[in-house]
Amino acid sequence: MFVLRFLVRRLLQGVVIVFLVSALIFTLLRVVPGDPVRLMAGGMAPEALIEEIATEMGLRDPIPVQFARYIGGVFRGDFGQSFVRPASGAAVGGASFDDSTRGERARVLTLIAETAPMTIQLALLAMVFALMIALPIGIAGGLNPGRWPDRMALYLSSIFVSLPNFWLGIVLALVVSVKWQLVPSIGYHGFAYTILPAFVLAIEIAPFLIRTLTVSVSGVMAQNFIDIARVRGLSWGQIVFRHALKNASVPLLNLLGVQFSMLLGGVLVIEFIFDYPGLGLLTINAVMQRDFPLIQGIAIITAAAFVLINIVVDLAATAIDPRLDY
Amino acid sequence: MISRRKFINYSAAFGALAAMPQVNTDFFFKPAMAQATKPIVFLSAENITGNWDPSAHTTLSQTNIEGFVMGYLTRAPMTPENPDEVIYELATEITELDAHKLQIKLREGVTFHDGKPFTAADVKATFEYGSGADRPKQVYPGTTDTFEVTTPDDYTVIVDTSKGGYGASLFIFLASYLPIMSADDIAQGSSGPLTQRLNGTGPFRFVEQRGNDTVMEAFDGYFKGKPTVPGVTFSFVGDATTRMLSLMSGQADIIERLEPEQVETLEAEAGIKISRQVSVENKYLWFRCSKPPFDNPLVRKAACHAIDRDLIMEVMGSAGHASSNFVSPIKFGYVDLENYPKYDPEECQRLLAEAGFPGGEGLPELEYITSTGFYPKTKEYGEVITALMQEQGFPVTLNVMEVAAWNERLYDRPGGGPGHMVDCGWSTGSPEPDLVLRSHFHSSSKRICGIEDPEIDAALDEERNAPSLEVRRESLQTNLMPMLADKVPALSLFTSVLMHGIRTELDGLMMYPDGQIDASAATQG
Repeated sequence: MFVLRFLVRRLLQGVVIVFLVSALIFTLLRVVPGDPVRLMAGGMAPEALIEEIATEMGLRDPIPVQFARYIGGVFRGDFGQSFVRPASGAAVGGASFDDSTRGERARVLTLIAETAPMTIQLALLAMVFALMIALPIGIAGGLNPGRWPDRMALYLSSIFVSLPNFWLGIVLALVVSVKWQLVPSIGYHGFAYTILPAFVLAIEIAPFLIRTLTVSVSGVMAQNFIDIARVRGLSWGQIVFRHALKNASVPLLNLLGVQFSMLLGGVLVIEFIFDYPGLGLLTINAVMQRDFPLIQGIAIITAAAFVLINIVVDLAATAIDPRLDY
Repeated sequence: MISRRKFINYSAAFGALAAMPQVNTDFFFKPAMAQATKPIVFLSAENITGNWDPSAHTTLSQTNIEGFVMGYLTRAPMTPENPDEVIYELATEITELDAHKLQIKLREGVTFHDGKPFTAADVKATFEYGSGADRPKQVYPGTTDTFEVTTPDDYTVIVDTSKGGYGASLFIFLASYLPIMSADDIAQGSSGPLTQRLNGTGPFRFVEQRGNDTVMEAFDGYFKGKPTVPGVTFSFVGDATTRMLSLMSGQADIIERLEPEQVETLEAEAGIKISRQVSVENKYLWFRCSKPPFDNPLVRKAACHAIDRDLIMEVMGSAGHASSNFVSPIKFGYVDLENYPKYDPEECQRLLAEAGFPGGEGLPELEYITSTGFYPKTKEYGEVITALMQEQGFPVTLNVMEVAAWNERLYDRPGGGPGHMVDCGWSTGSPEPDLVLRSHFHSSSKRICGIEDPEIDAALDEERNAPSLEVRRESLQTNLMPMLADKVPALSLFTSVLMHGIRTELDGLMMYPDGQIDASAATQG
């Protein structure tokens, strides 16, 4: 019963959030400079033709009217067609205004469905790498507060957080792909192409995980029940892995949820540098081409994913620690 | 004594170890090195349009793809030593029967990729369709109604330009520019199969567009023999560093539009060679001639005298080649113009005063639009030009834009395009100078600068209507080009040097100065 109430409440909140995000993105896109019709029709198109096309597409209606029409389509599962991308999915430039022969436009949902799994794969692998880096460092730091493992966790976190991801991406591609020829890194022709970009993302996330783990593990280890566990005769391994880590995992889980959501929207630079064909690269191209329907679709779906992941994380946290009440 | 728990753990570990050799490690790791028989991977700096019709765009990247797939009547290597040279491809002979009649003999035994035999009907259909007034890449000297194409037999074409009154010789250089399309495709209209895929007679067959990758494979029936390399994958990769890393790691075989700094890095790398070529592309500073203050030729000329092109050449380094004309030195009719505007602050001030803006006083705020991310060094030399013009009193603001936003503002519009000055290059794969001059400076086209000047129109018509190439050359060099240098609707800053990075094991490429590549004889050592 609790779960059902929780789900209904959070999903309703989520719908409101996604609606507000959509309205905000929709309005912002229409007030920033850069007329999409000009890009679609070509630079040489006369103003009269631009106005004609824009009116036909409903782009000269008041913003609330346009938004109502758009959101009605979204509720029916229709995110519209890209303004510029052909059905093949290629990133394209403009053609001339009187060219009536441009190929069929791609559907927004299709473009997102083709690229989102790539980004999810990248984000998941990045999380795995981040945990592989953060768990030993963070736990060691938390178990030895004030001593060298703790200081090392702090220094490493500071270094990781100070490395610009575009710089690290280029350096790693140069060293690992070019010099050592270990893994390929540009484009995507198989799973191996995910490794390097995921590692760069992992380095970006790891500091937050390390700090959270260090603080929460050291906090739990100072609790009375840990002292009592020692008196009960439990081994060090049992105390750490069965009791301390389980209790320290709730803040980590919350952070993982937030970080995963951030990753889905935050892979722009990495996907651009590695030419990784995910949502990030799609977004960059869409923004550069003022492809309104595509930008809106990505924003709405990313916002919805953010909301859903947070609901799942909260549910999981409640399962781990039943005292929590969301 | 072993516990049940430990027994299960050990069993699981043993099982995992036993399964290890069965795992396909290629799933995780594949060597990044180039393989001997893989398709050539070309990374492009520019995206394509959404339409495969060759007459529907002027986009360089797509023209480069057409270079692999399509056939041309002739090809023009356009070397500085012999800019007028023509190599016959689908044509075997081109003869001027008289000033208005051109006879083209065609190669026999050639087929399109869809299996249709190539005949004179395809050339006729291409000429007539490609010169239609509604075609964005309308390049012929006049529209369809100004010439007549007849086909006495399947392998002879006669072009008659009597109706248009211009010389038929214009078609000689144009023959290397617009690819020959299938008459069957053209017959199905401009929204038919032409838009959906490329169908040519070239060495590589268009297979599909897979995301940003254009996939082509070697054509079995290519008339010079099937290419050795199995195919070409042409991909758009927007970031210059990404392209360079990809070449260095062996994932790409050719990358284009190298920055001078990248050339230095790549030259130090074993396994990579650099191709440098003076290109057909000039870079221009276009003035918006259809609105004040650059509707006044005195102000335009004053601006030209404010700009020190030697400084721009220093910024460009190996990516620029000095030239003093409105077309590249490898185009027909090029000559270093004596009256081409030089850096002269005193003359600049004199002209400004004569135009009624002494010391730049009274000039409106001027916007200079340029792009970053495609052409090398545009922002850097844009800053130099801005500073030089400000020094002479021009209130110029430089607006550096990403390519899509710049592209949106590039062309002339009724009442004048956005801004007052725009940076852009123009590249056409033919020695024909009119592909630049007429496209930009005739009142009927005026793509970027928007100039409408009856004297320039008359000079353009005079050279176009010349009865022979020699007369035409003289008309270009003594009338039209000096006139343009006097009225300066645009200032040509320099000629681009095309720089490609290529893996050394890739040999036998023929590079054309517009960026097209003939890979029919390429080998991967």
